[in-house]
Amino acid sequence: MRGRSIAARRLGFLAAALAIAALPMVLTGNYWQTNLTICAINVLLALGLDFILGYAGQLNLGQSAFYGLGAYVSVLLVMKWGVPFWVAFAGGVMFSGCAGMILALFAVRLRGHYLAIASLGFAVITYQILLNWISLTQGPLGIYAIPPPPAIALPGLPVIDFHNPTALFYLVAGFTLLVYFLLDQIVRSPIGETLTAIREDDVSAASLGINAAAWKTFAFGIGAAVGGAAGCFYGSFVGTLVPDAFFITESFTILSMVIVGGMGTLTGPVCGAILLTLLPELLREIGDLRLVVYGAALTLVVLFMPGGLVQAARAVRAKLGDLRGSTR
Amino acid sequence: MKAVAAQQGDHGRAGRPVLLSARGLHKSFGGVHAVRDISFDIPTGAVFAIIGPNGAGKSTLLNLMSGVYRCDAGSLAFDGTDMSALPAHRRVRLGIARTFQKIRLFKQLSVLDNVVAGFHIHHHIPAWQYLVHGPAFRRDHARCRAEAVALLAFVGLAARGDAIAGSLSYGEQRMLEFARALATKPRLLLVDEPAAGLNAAEVESLLDRIRTTRDKGVTVVVVEHNMDLVMNVADRVFVMDYGQQLFEGKPGDVQRNPAVVAAYLGGELM
Repeated sequence: MRGRSIAARRLGFLAAALAIAALPMVLTGNYWQTNLTICAINVLLALGLDFILGYAGQLNLGQSAFYGLGAYVSVLLVMKWGVPFWVAFAGGVMFSGCAGMILALFAVRLRGHYLAIASLGFAVITYQILLNWISLTQGPLGIYAIPPPPAIALPGLPVIDFHNPTALFYLVAGFTLLVYFLLDQIVRSPIGETLTAIREDDVSAASLGINAAAWKTFAFGIGAAVGGAAGCFYGSFVGTLVPDAFFITESFTILSMVIVGGMGTLTGPVCGAILLTLLPELLREIGDLRLVVYGAALTLVVLFMPGGLVQAARAVRAKLGDLRGSTR
Repeated sequence: MKAVAAQQGDHGRAGRPVLLSARGLHKSFGGVHAVRDISFDIPTGAVFAIIGPNGAGKSTLLNLMSGVYRCDAGSLAFDGTDMSALPAHRRVRLGIARTFQKIRLFKQLSVLDNVVAGFHIHHHIPAWQYLVHGPAFRRDHARCRAEAVALLAFVGLAARGDAIAGSLSYGEQRMLEFARALATKPRLLLVDEPAAGLNAAEVESLLDRIRTTRDKGVTVVVVEHNMDLVMNVADRVFVMDYGQQLFEGKPGDVQRNPAVVAAYLGGELM
């Protein structure tokens, strides 16, 4: 079964790469290109959270904090200390990853609701720090005129200038595809088996020699680092940073993306993030009513498809398979 | 009586070295003394049964051995190394595996994946191949699958590999838990109440696997309250009641011991 699915996954990656290449040509204009990039950033955020929540089974409501820390650390490194963008990027990612591991060190003994509250508290504290450490973050005034990533000039090729929204989309989406590939490799390795074992029953996992606390910390580190990477792109993409972008509601939005898409899969959060980014935009014409529709859609998914879109797709495929089988 | 038991242990039985030795174990929960001053030596390669009526402290004793609980006093040595302070997951690396009285499988995972999870401490993959799967990764993957399939065949679940573990019958779940524990390649296997919830045929089949496992060189500890069952499989029997030792010796001698008969068999035979 796995042999066949390796070929299928390779095809999937190829299709995703082609889709990423083609999308900016189909959806032209500033509005859509902006949305595409936001989609890619949200996919990163959802993938990071899903690694912690869907695989290791830890209800983390602090993803908005890791997102914000990545954004602020990388932007401050560039703007205040003149660090080159990609070094600042690595700094933001590592800072978020370390913050995730430190939170995990304190929180791994907590389960379920208690972990949720602790991580939410972490998100609140981080938001308050961003808001009130005015000498560093300029608080609610925000940081303005953040430059995009520096142009890439490869010999023999035209210069890639990230003032161009299409180029920036390719950068973010390409990075997201790379992260997806690496996470896919990790979750299909014994590490994935280990995290799933912890999610299912950590006493049982310990009886197999699994150090649950260490692996939960690892999952938090990876998931937070991916969230931090999304933040690094966010700052240079939007051009301004205000703490409100990383308020705790952002954590719940990311959580919705993972749940609607399907926890414990990688395609799920991708679909969930794209849907929940584009749905409010598509519903913009109906004004504030869109929030009602958005809320209703979310409730329906949780009620009728607890496994999210991925589970629904599987069910449909199984039904079609049955039909085909019975007509044969 | 305890001193006599300890002496027998030091001399070894039939020349067998001691694999696990417990000295003066104590464990209490609030005011309840679940385990009081328990000492024993488990000889290598034996089936060592711990029996006693319900509430005697047998499961607590097993949890002390597996590291789910730490003892309040006393010490545990495995193959000569003191492991009293080691957490459960570290004891698995020493070679101690266990099953649970109340079955604890990964219910949402497939039967095969449950066993594969048991290979956690036995992977041989260079770190970078977790990110980009290479030849060593594929070799390890294939080896683990093959060994898991063999273990499933051993417990009679060869045909159920793709089923979801939670969908198995109770008896099958117990066999799967046994296979998963064996996947850690233990030198000492702790089996908690193997017969609970099983029918006679299932019990017989499980006892048969326990004997085979012992014959392969794994020392097995069976915690059980059903004495008849233990008589069939055990090489040594340790009887406890109210957290204390009543008897230790050969299965044939148990029923002749007046203390055991009074505390245990007497009630059951009447």
